[in-house]
Amino acid sequence: MTTKSSDGQYEVVWPCGERRLKQRPLAKRLDTLQGKTIAQLWDYLFAGDEVFKALEEKLKEKYPDVKWVSWREFGSTHAVNEKELLASLPQRFKELGVDAAISCMAC
Amino acid sequence: MGQAAATSVGLGMPNLPVAMIVGHTGAQSVEEIRENVFNVTAAQVMDNLLIQPDEVVLPPEPKARDIVFRGNFEEVNEYFNERDWSGGLPIVPPTIEKINEFLSYTDRKPDESLGIVLPESRAVTIWSLAVNGVMAGCRPEYMPVLVALGEAMADPIYGVEHSGNTPGAETLIILNGPIIKELKFNYEQGAMRDGFQANTSVGRFWRLALRNIAGFLLHKTDKGTYGNSFRVVLAENEDAIAKAGWQPNSVDMGFAAGDNTVTITRLTGGGVLPSVTGNTPEAMMPYLADGVAKQTGWEIAFTVGGLGIGTLRPILILSPILAQTIGKAGWSKDDVKRYLYDHARTPAWRVETMMDKWVDFRINGLQRQVNLGRLPKAFHESDDPNRMVPIVVKPEDFGVLVSGDPLRTNAYSFTHNGHLGFPVAKKIHVPKDWTARLAKLRNKP
Repeated sequence: MTTKSSDGQYEVVWPCGERRLKQRPLAKRLDTLQGKTIAQLWDYLFAGDEVFKALEEKLKEKYPDVKWVSWREFGSTHAVNEKELLASLPQRFKELGVDAAISCMAC
Repeated sequence: MGQAAATSVGLGMPNLPVAMIVGHTGAQSVEEIRENVFNVTAAQVMDNLLIQPDEVVLPPEPKARDIVFRGNFEEVNEYFNERDWSGGLPIVPPTIEKINEFLSYTDRKPDESLGIVLPESRAVTIWSLAVNGVMAGCRPEYMPVLVALGEAMADPIYGVEHSGNTPGAETLIILNGPIIKELKFNYEQGAMRDGFQANTSVGRFWRLALRNIAGFLLHKTDKGTYGNSFRVVLAENEDAIAKAGWQPNSVDMGFAAGDNTVTITRLTGGGVLPSVTGNTPEAMMPYLADGVAKQTGWEIAFTVGGLGIGTLRPILILSPILAQTIGKAGWSKDDVKRYLYDHARTPAWRVETMMDKWVDFRINGLQRQVNLGRLPKAFHESDDPNRMVPIVVKPEDFGVLVSGDPLRTNAYSFTHNGHLGFPVAKKIHVPKDWTARLAKLRNKP
């Protein structure tokens, strides 16, 4: 059992690990989706292919010139090589002229 | 939504906008998915791409040595419980004095970070391991084991960030080396049951460390649909292993026999194989192989490509008498693994139906995976849907451990969570004055 002071009181510390994250600003949002290129990222689970198909169809109503880079271009974001894949995305986005990305969805 | 929002904080983007997928697509028709995307998701996606979210400044947190509360035992526990720090059971209050006692059993500096872990991007420090060891009811001399577990937690190969995924697998800690006896870990009857302070408190420590150091909290970052209570530490019976003529798990994991090691691996489920009958391996192994094969269901997704290729690591635990009967007949541990590879099999139709229909982790058939060179030919030696295929890619993927009641002919089979909790082992480093200090502890009146 742990020690306590003579008056039966315990002085205790915070049990959590120190947060070491670097808070990062979000990318600037787009002024329009018209003519923009949007990447699709998917973990190949739970019908994300159907979700993206429906999203493409719905967004086309308002932004007929939006361009998509399919999830097929990148592979699963939740596979054995997920760390390498995620690390490669900034360069891949540059190469593909990507303006924005949508990532889905669950595990 | 809640998990996405909570996780985005740990990724350093607390204002990352999230759009809702209504319900669960796995329980919806394509038409329902389309309707939900049209009516709900699409508008949120467009807003998220076009409207800049407000900046969010995270509130400051206490420093490691800050006293956050002063009170009696009940008050401390109430305070910790209200803040999700105790996992539902009373904790031992982590006072500076008690933490320092733990720290005296390691030569490492208290503020040394062993790595940063998700989901909350928190540092696994020697200090934080000691704090949670105190809280879990460990003894100070367990500290070298806790440090090794911290190193294992921070190893990217283990993949601790997946510990909140929905199947809810639990980590098994496997202990090897003379430290088993030095710290009085149980390695005989009742293995994996609570009842021995070393096994139980170190098992609880792991769950508290996942909660407080990594940041896995139910209803937030931990989305396990079902869980188990934490697993108490499994210590191998190294005397029995030697009598079987085998090497301990530590050697299988790349260390020398006699090294003190911890191995962590994340297991989805397991079951006992009681009353293994026979006095030869040939008589015993068919039942064991049958039990090992039956334990693996959807988890074969980690073998055949549904979720990964060749990352499934099932475990068979043999009681000492079983291991010695097999070993004395001249079978090595590798022979046991080879037998399991050849005989712990499952029908091809079951694997393909499971992946492509039941759980929708699509592989488009085993033949395709073999043709693409992702799986060995053993997975497609004919077109017969009833052919039996392995549950792992190679014999070494099986783990074989020895523990439990020395004279019961029972075994235990675990299946595994693939690369979402891949086996990782670390050497346990004891402080310079270890032997003398243990002797002093043992001689206490």
